Amino acid sequence: METRAFASTSPQRPDWQALADKARSRRRATNAFLYTVLILGSLPIVVPYLWLFTVAFSGRAGASTTVLWLTLAILMPALLGWLGLRASIEDPRRLRHAEWLLAAATLAALAAVTGPHLHADNWRFLWISDIANRLKGETGTGGRYPSVWTAFGNSLFIALVQMTLVVAVSTFAGYYLSRFEFRGRASYLRGLLILHAFPAMTLIIPIFLLTYWVGLLDTLTGVILVVVALELPFAIFVMKGFFDAVPWDIEMSGMVDGASRRQAFFMLLLPQVKVGMLAVAVFAFLRGWEEYVFVRTLLFQKSNWTMSLYLFFMSEDVMGTDYAMVSAIGVFYVLPSIVLYALSQKYLTQMTIGGIKG
Amino acid sequence: MSRIELRQVSKRWGDVTAVEPTDLVIEDGEFVAILGPSGCGKSTTLFMLAGIYVPSEGEIRFDKAVVNEVEARDRNVGIVFQSYALYPHMTVRDNILFPLRFKKIPQHEAQFRATAAAALVRVEELLERKPGQLSGGQQQRVALARALVKEPQLLLLDEPLSNLDASLRMTMRSEIRALQRKLGVTTILVTHDQIEATTMADRVICMSKGRIEQIGSADDLYHRPDSLFVASFIGSPPINRIEGRAEGGRFLAGTIALPLRGAAAGDVVLGVRPEALRLGEGDLSAMVTDIEPHGREAIYHLTTPLGELRALEAGATPRFAVGARLPVAIASSLVFDRISGRRVAGATLEAGI
Ligand SMILES: Nc1ncnc2c1ncn2[C@@H]1O[C@H](COP(=O)(O)OP(=O)(O)OP(=O)(O)O)[C@@H](O)[C@H]1O
Ligand SMILES: [Mg+2]
Repeated sequence: METRAFASTSPQRPDWQALADKARSRRRATNAFLYTVLILGSLPIVVPYLWLFTVAFSGRAGASTTVLWLTLAILMPALLGWLGLRASIEDPRRLRHAEWLLAAATLAALAAVTGPHLHADNWRFLWISDIANRLKGETGTGGRYPSVWTAFGNSLFIALVQMTLVVAVSTFAGYYLSRFEFRGRASYLRGLLILHAFPAMTLIIPIFLLTYWVGLLDTLTGVILVVVALELPFAIFVMKGFFDAVPWDIEMSGMVDGASRRQAFFMLLLPQVKVGMLAVAVFAFLRGWEEYVFVRTLLFQKSNWTMSLYLFFMSEDVMGTDYAMVSAIGVFYVLPSIVLYALSQKYLTQMTIGGIKG
Repeated sequence: MSRIELRQVSKRWGDVTAVEPTDLVIEDGEFVAILGPSGCGKSTTLFMLAGIYVPSEGEIRFDKAVVNEVEARDRNVGIVFQSYALYPHMTVRDNILFPLRFKKIPQHEAQFRATAAAALVRVEELLERKPGQLSGGQQQRVALARALVKEPQLLLLDEPLSNLDASLRMTMRSEIRALQRKLGVTTILVTHDQIEATTMADRVICMSKGRIEQIGSADDLYHRPDSLFVASFIGSPPINRIEGRAEGGRFLAGTIALPLRGAAAGDVVLGVRPEALRLGEGDLSAMVTDIEPHGREAIYHLTTPLGELRALEAGATPRFAVGARLPVAIASSLVFDRISGRRVAGATLEAGI
């Protein structure tokens, strides 16, 4: 039946082998093109970070990019080699072996070529707490510096408390918005989105005055509350979407089975929105960890400095003499974010945007 | 096990009336089916009994006690939702154990009862799986085990078989029926599948637009429907409806006049079951326009002076071909008032027309 229909449109028998070859080579070309675009596209992001890392572990006073070029000189061929492997080996087991070999060879080459340049000197800010004062005297923009650990602790405190508050409030608010009908619900939802549209910068002066009036100026609590307030609208919206995706039946069934509304919420509903809570938590943490604008305007005491302020003032004061150390501080600053991403990305990539609907 | 009574129970949301004021008594240990088209208030009625919705008016009584204000969790009701509503993050075992967590039952007894409930619906092999790893039929059985494990006084089943294939549905029908007999639990089954309702239940409640149209046995609903709605809703293929007038002991439709018995008068609708049309007899002339063979029987589409009619005849091979002209007799019929839709009791065509 089908061949006859086919024959009526094309007079000769098609050459299946040639068609298959054509499809295969087209697929390869598409893949090669895709990889090239992805790699070229990510280079501008990857190279600065790579530079930061190499300088942090190998830089000495004075600008030197030798190690960066050495590293790139090894990594780029390795990358090309990897693409070559992927294109040429079809058997997945052999491919995996080849990949391991390539990775081992790359690491060995890196160790051999860049090894002699590596040292931990740039990280001495971790154990010499008044490093800035020693390098620069007490006359720089930053004045007397606190220890980096004070700043680290403050940042962690802000990020964690802020994250906890955002997750807790957005979870309950999202549940309420998703499950209960009340007067003004639609306009409340619209308002949430509009709130998020304002750039935080426009609010700096009113927020400054507000924190002053309530006596929270120059306190970590003040910063935390401000960031929580700015983070909440979007977080609530995301959580509402996740709750919307859970059928009502599950709670109702739980309540018929003997649970109270609260028990049904904690035992049955929360486990269904775990991924949403995780996403909100990760983004809230990063937001708090990276916060710069409000810590800059609302905090004055040195003992209240966060990592972002520490990095800023260090780069103001020490950059000229020791930018390698500033790089190390930068790496130290991004490490928690990277660790967090590494730990949570497995769950976050399962998240579907389908979970977010009006 | 208990006797359920509804007195003038209704449910409204703003302007929407899902259930009109309704009276109903379900005896202890009875198996009742609620049958009706989509949106007629079946689930709402069930949810009021379960305590998920509070009635707008009226009283719900379990064994004489008014339970309107009693919370769902205190009613000791087992419910199977149409969607099963299994808890996705728990294993089958934990799903079945869940209702027992809220009763003061020793752990080993809870485990024992969960295993027994699982065995009852034959899912004991699946206890360590998550609901997502089960087929639709298995999920439905788990939901049933979860509803049964707390030994409810009332079992509510909201279209529990709607997601199953035809043969599994047949099996589950008889399994649920046997289980209910064994446990003697008062059971209400909601469905819009009339075969399910009529084969499983002692009594069938036919609902339409939030009102109970008729309560009775399957036989009552089929042969003695109170209204045109029930007559049309029950039976497949549906009853033939012939509009006409009843006048001086005759039924008049178009050029045809047929002798009528009983007290019908004015505008009426004549209802004729497809199997009540006898092919090759009588003196109504008909032509076959289409035939649907169904294996054991065939459905004939006929053009007659009374309009398009459908006839059902048993037999593996159709006796007539498309285009054939043949006489047709009406062996039995029902007469409904066209305005009110009520059946005119005792009215029927003279036999053998
Ligand atoms: N929460 C609600 N708010 C407003 N109207 C509702 C609500 N729940 C149900 N209704 C309305 O009540 C009527 C009855 O609904 P119900 O769910 O009881 O129907 P049903 O008989 O179970 O239908 P189906 O066979 O499709 O499940 C419908 O018209 C529905 O739109
Ligand atoms: Mg329903």
